[in-house]
Amino acid sequence: MSVPLSIAPVFRGRALATIGACWLLVVGIAAVGAPLLAPFDPLEFDPFVRLSSPGWPHLFGTDHFGRDSLSRAIYGARMVILIGSGSVLIALVAGGLIGMLSAYFVRLGHLLMRIVDVLMAFPALLLALVLMTLLERSVLNTVIVIGIVYATTTARIVFGMTLKLKRDVFVDAAICSGAGHASVLFRHILPNLVSPMLVQASFIFAFAQLQAAALDFLGLGLPPEVPSWGNMLSEERIYVTRAPWLLIFPGALIILSVFSMNLVGDALRDNIDPRFKDDIAGV
Amino acid sequence: MALLDIRKLDLSIARGGELLPVVQGVSLSVEENETLGIVGESGCGKSLTALAIMGLLEGTAVRIAGGSVHFQGWDLLALSPEERRRIMGRQMAMIFQEPMTSLNPVYRVGDQIREAILQHRSMSRRQAHERALDLLELVRIPDPARRIDSFPHQMSGGQRQRVMIAMALACDPRLLIADEPTTALDVTVQKDVLELIRGLQARTGMSVVLISHDLGVISETCDKVAVMYRGRIVEQASTSALFSNMSHPYTLGLLGSMPALDHDVEWLDAIPGRVPTLDETVLGCAFHPRCFAAKATCRTEDPGAAAVSPAHFVRCHFPQGSSS
Amino acid sequence: MTRPLLDVRELKTHFSIGRGGFMRRKSLLRAVDGVSFSIHDGEVLSLVGESGCGKSTVGRTLTHLETATAGTAMFDGRDILNLSPAEFRPLRRDIQMVFQDPFASLNPRLSIEQMLAEPLFIHGLARDRSEARERIVATLELVGMDANSMSRYPHEFSGGQRQRIGIARVMILTPRLVIADEPVSALDVSIQAQVLNLIKRLQRDSGVSMLFISHDLGAVRHISDRVAVMYGGKLVETGKTRQIFETPRHAYTQRLLASIPRFGKRIGR
Repeated sequence: MSVPLSIAPVFRGRALATIGACWLLVVGIAAVGAPLLAPFDPLEFDPFVRLSSPGWPHLFGTDHFGRDSLSRAIYGARMVILIGSGSVLIALVAGGLIGMLSAYFVRLGHLLMRIVDVLMAFPALLLALVLMTLLERSVLNTVIVIGIVYATTTARIVFGMTLKLKRDVFVDAAICSGAGHASVLFRHILPNLVSPMLVQASFIFAFAQLQAAALDFLGLGLPPEVPSWGNMLSEERIYVTRAPWLLIFPGALIILSVFSMNLVGDALRDNIDPRFKDDIAGV
Repeated sequence: MALLDIRKLDLSIARGGELLPVVQGVSLSVEENETLGIVGESGCGKSLTALAIMGLLEGTAVRIAGGSVHFQGWDLLALSPEERRRIMGRQMAMIFQEPMTSLNPVYRVGDQIREAILQHRSMSRRQAHERALDLLELVRIPDPARRIDSFPHQMSGGQRQRVMIAMALACDPRLLIADEPTTALDVTVQKDVLELIRGLQARTGMSVVLISHDLGVISETCDKVAVMYRGRIVEQASTSALFSNMSHPYTLGLLGSMPALDHDVEWLDAIPGRVPTLDETVLGCAFHPRCFAAKATCRTEDPGAAAVSPAHFVRCHFPQGSSS
Repeated sequence: MTRPLLDVRELKTHFSIGRGGFMRRKSLLRAVDGVSFSIHDGEVLSLVGESGCGKSTVGRTLTHLETATAGTAMFDGRDILNLSPAEFRPLRRDIQMVFQDPFASLNPRLSIEQMLAEPLFIHGLARDRSEARERIVATLELVGMDANSMSRYPHEFSGGQRQRIGIARVMILTPRLVIADEPVSALDVSIQAQVLNLIKRLQRDSGVSMLFISHDLGAVRHISDRVAVMYGGKLVETGKTRQIFETPRHAYTQRLLASIPRFGKRIGR
């Protein structure tokens, strides 16, 4: 495995993934610099320019409150990053720990993995809906719920990988050196999970956006006043015939971003296993 | 003309935008009913040479950079893949080291043998079934009528290799290429499999190319031997000539590396160092960094093949042995 | 006669295979089924047999990688088989294991220094990094490796070099018993000879006792004082190396020896 992980070879010879990464960089810059970049206040109502079509000074048009769509889209990038990284963090830490411990301690695993199986029996969106109805709408709760949904799949994946790693000879060798459980788990097994988990993270990041958009659309996600791409879709859906741009722009942004994240994830995944990279049949 | 005649075969591998030579100037010939052994360590090019003969390099990073391969008078490298498959499919067959991965785990072995037969012969399924039974009997699988319905995982490694041999023999090939056919097997099973190959050869008159890292296996089964090191043949002779008068320091080193079974040796005469990797260039003779007999010339000049005796060639500036 | 360092009596390791459960019975695999042998100080005993005979399981049971079903193994007068993991941990320093596959036995994420320092710190043989480093350099030299390999990672080394690192990880603890499970069979012929010579030299110089597990009769003859031949989970013959190779008594040993390819012998025709 490539040690340490470097970025350059991931994108070498992958034009699409590189474009995807650039787009994500743009989203990142928009998120960080939203107050500077946004031409208007995303929350400010302007009854005189309700539902105006794209043009100067409202490049993406305005919504039914007269808020500037472009500014809302730029602030929406913040939610993309927040929801993405938040749910990735929860999914990886919780799911990773559950998966690793379950695979390593067999009895504990019987219990924990059955719980995971039950959670996984719900379709992801349904599970998120059930959990959201129990909680109130807030950014934090949305992040937690999406994190839990993807913690289950992460736990399954990490469980499988840990089972395999646990049987690897270098783990036997570490045990023979006298290493204890903590050392075997965190020093020998965990570092070998990092790169596959990184790939998993990139996909969770992408799916979390869709999940969040779906929750917003159903009116169960972020609070309505928060500018997010999903809320923009949700609030303006009744104007689809009168002002289709209000749906086209956020919709396109979601598709473009998720697609980019998946491309980057694919590139990461292909790069992670050096056996494929140096494969020269028969030598 | 020989059944198989390889002249100055060059193979290169594309890596990082450049072509690295992996097999250089390999010339070999196999007569009817003859067994040629190719011996060498991993990365010496012995398997690639076999794959090149079989036309199995397509889709890999390895390119044929020069030379010719003639089989029964056909110029194999000039044939299109389609012609090749049509003409050659029945004439050459290959078996590999790992009999588990070469068999498809979801089909019964009988079905796989029958497929191999039907690919090259037009006969009814009933006839093909009969032929598959005959083949299993030929490779001495006990109780073939029952084993024909087994799945690969229900058989032992030795039996799976026998099934692979049965499939290879499905259309009476003139040439069988066996790439480390017994490396994954236990010694007692290895002996049976090698005896089986020899026996079949005596019956059918086919020729065999046997690739191995084990000088003992080569010595017991082959009529002539080519020793390969880093993509080149460094010594080539009849088996008896080679084992009575080893001339290349590498061949001697391989022999010295093998512990004796009938007497005690204090220390093995190991070859020092390791085989250079593909991207390391070695000037002069490729073996000189590890050679006990290396002198100044070896560091600068690549030795050509020289005859020790009429049918014994060695690629070395200072060949060892009695004739020098 | 002095007390042997390791005295194994009627060792049995059975595995239940399949999951059992509804309408299915678990079947029992008797991998090791009543094996007895002993190893004296400074002695090399080879355990030889074909794949699936249970020879590796013997080594893995003695290092607690598998759980023994029955039997005793007295190491230095103490039965190591019924020790709890915590009780056995300090003894791991004395009983070390060399593994077969040098590509799988080194953690790809650890540098050579990290890998060799770990056992030192676990067993309290080094107080700080510089002390550990001193020992690592000395041990690397012992196995014929450069001190500057310390900062590198396993994938930068060839198979033979990796196996030397694996041997260094064992020797750095100055164990009293080394269990070597097919330590050269994954290597190329010319590298096998180097590593065999190295193991023999280290064993002679340190006087460590060794259980050499192998299917390679040539290597066994080269390295061992005594040989135990295993078949189907049981020992069929034990004796001095010379006696086993020159006057084998059991039919299986004879068949095994007759199967090895030798020069100048021809099969068939």
